[in-house]
Amino acid sequence: MIAAVIPAVPGLLGLLVCAALWEAVPRLGLVDPDFLPPFTTTLNALRGELADAAFWTALGDTLTGWALGLALATAGGILAGLVIATVPHLRELTASTVEFLRPIPSVALIPLAILLYGTELRSVLLLVVYAAFWQVLVQVLYGVQDVDPVADDTARAFGLGPWARVRHVVWPTALPYVMTGVRLAAAVALILAITVELVIGAPGLGHRINVAQSSQAVPDMYALILVAGCLGVLINTGARFVERRALSWHQSVRAEGPA
Amino acid sequence: MRCTRRTLTAVTATMLLAATAACGSGSDSPKSESTGDAGTTKLKIGIIPIVDVAPLYLGQKKGFYKEQGLSLSMTMAQGGAAIVPGVVSGQFQFGFSNSTSLMVAQSKGVPVKVVVNGVGSTGKQNADFGAVVVNKDSTIKSAKDLEGKKVAVNTLKNINDTTVRESVRKDGGDPSKVKFVELAFDQMPAALDKGQIDAAQVVEPATATVKAQGGRVIASNFVDTARKLTVAMYFSSSQYVDQHPDVVKKFKAATQKSLTYANGHPDEVRDIISTYTKIPQSTLDKVTLPAWPAQWNRPSLDTLAKLGEQDGLFEKTPDLDALLP
Repeated sequence: MIAAVIPAVPGLLGLLVCAALWEAVPRLGLVDPDFLPPFTTTLNALRGELADAAFWTALGDTLTGWALGLALATAGGILAGLVIATVPHLRELTASTVEFLRPIPSVALIPLAILLYGTELRSVLLLVVYAAFWQVLVQVLYGVQDVDPVADDTARAFGLGPWARVRHVVWPTALPYVMTGVRLAAAVALILAITVELVIGAPGLGHRINVAQSSQAVPDMYALILVAGCLGVLINTGARFVERRALSWHQSVRAEGPA
Repeated sequence: MRCTRRTLTAVTATMLLAATAACGSGSDSPKSESTGDAGTTKLKIGIIPIVDVAPLYLGQKKGFYKEQGLSLSMTMAQGGAAIVPGVVSGQFQFGFSNSTSLMVAQSKGVPVKVVVNGVGSTGKQNADFGAVVVNKDSTIKSAKDLEGKKVAVNTLKNINDTTVRESVRKDGGDPSKVKFVELAFDQMPAALDKGQIDAAQVVEPATATVKAQGGRVIASNFVDTARKLTVAMYFSSSQYVDQHPDVVKKFKAATQKSLTYANGHPDEVRDIISTYTKIPQSTLDKVTLPAWPAQWNRPSLDTLAKLGEQDGLFEKTPDLDALLP
C-alpha cells in the first residue's frame, strides 16, 4: 500500500509547484489576470462548472465519443493487424498503403467529416477512429513479427491450424504490443475527440471550451482545460492499470516492482 | 513487385473513396426533413454561438417557430467555414453566415441562397457591436492613423478587413498601407494588451471586454461602410430551397417575427444570450446589441460586393440577384 503511494509523491509535488506558479504569475502582475486568471480563481470557476448539469452532459458526450472510437479502433486495428501479419505476402502488399495513410493528420480530415456527418457524434468517431486505428495496427504488426519462429514451427509440426496458432502462439506474444497500442490509442482518441468538438462544434467538452472562449469567460475556459488535462491523466492511469492486469503473467510486468 | 504495390495503393485509395462516397449518399437521404409527432418539421441550423443569433433562440422560446410547425435544433460550429459545407451537403437545412462569405461562396459557384436577414449594424458611430479598437495608451486617434499599423481581423479577405479598409479610406488614409493579421476575436483583447497588435476589429462580447480594459473605439467600420450594413444572413442550399419552398417560407416568416421581437425586447435578448453562451453577466450588461431588421438592406450589400471586388475577394463578380431571392 505504502509502496504504491510513494512513487506518486514526486508527481504530486510537481503538480503543487505547477499550481503555485500558476497562482503566482498573475498575482505578481507578470501577466494580466484578466487573460490568465490565478489558479484559485480557475478552481472557483471549476466549482461552478461542476454544479452545472450541462457540464456533465458535455463530459458524457466527450467520453462517449472517446470510448466508442477507441473500441472501434482497437477492434479494427487488432483484426486488420492479425490478418495482415498472418496471411502470407499481405504485409508487403499493404506496407506502402499503411505508410501513406498513417501520417495523414486526422484533423486534416475535419472538412470531410463535416461534409459527411455535420457536427454529429459520427464526425467525432470518424476522426477518433482514424487516428487511434494506426496506433493499434502498427503495434499488432510489430507484435506478430516478434513471434518466436521455433515456437511457430513447433506449433505447425504439432499440426495446429491457423486459428489455433493465432490463439496459442501469436496472440500471447503480440498481447504486450497490443496493450501498448491501446494505451497510446486511448490518449490519442481523447485528444482527437476534444479537438473535433473544439473545431467543428460537436457537443462535448471541447465545444464547451469553445463557447467559453468566444464568450470571454476566461476562468471557465481554463477550468474546462484543466478538466481535459485531468481526464487525460485518468485515462492514462486507467490504461496502465488494464495493461498490468492483462499482462500479469508476462515477464515485463512480473519483473516490475515487488510482487 | 513494385508495380503491384503501386496498383494496390491505387485500388485501396479508390475503395476508400468509394466507401466515403457511399456513406455520403446514405446519410443525407433520411434526415433532410424528418417530421415529428405533431407534424412539426425539425430543422438543423448551423450557427456560431454568438450574440448575433439570439433572435433564433428567443423565437424558439416564444413559440414563433412552433406556430409555423417548425422545431429548431441549433448546431454550433466554430465558424462560417464549417457552416457553408454543412448546409450545402445537407447536414444543416439552414445556416448563418456573414454577407461577404456568402458572396464569396456564390462567386465560386457554391449553390447557396439567402433566405432571411440575420443581423445588421446599429448604424450609430461609436455605438455599434463591431468596432476598431485600440489600447488605452495608444497614439492612434482615428482610422487614418492605422496606416503602417498592425490590425487584427478574425479572417483575412473577408467582411472585417474590407470594411476596416473603407473606414481608413473615408478618413482620408491609404488602406493599402494597413497591415492586417489574422487572430480569433477572443484572443484580440489579450494581444492588444500585450502590444502584439496595434488595433483590432472586434465584435461583441470582445468589444465590451476591450472597453472595460480602458480601450477606445477609433472607428465603427460597419457604420463607415454603409448606413445600416447587413452584416450576416441566414441561408440554405439552392437544392433545399427548390425542394422545400414551404419550409423555407415558414422559416422566413418565423425568423422575421423573431428578429422584430428581438429588436423590441433587448432585456429578453440579454437573458436568452446567457443561456447559450458563457458571457459573464458583468460583460453582458455592457454589450452593445446589434440591430435585427426583418429585411436585409440591399444597397448596403451592393456596397459590400463592390468593396470585396476592389479588394480582390472574388474570382468573378458575385451575382447578388441570384444569391438573394
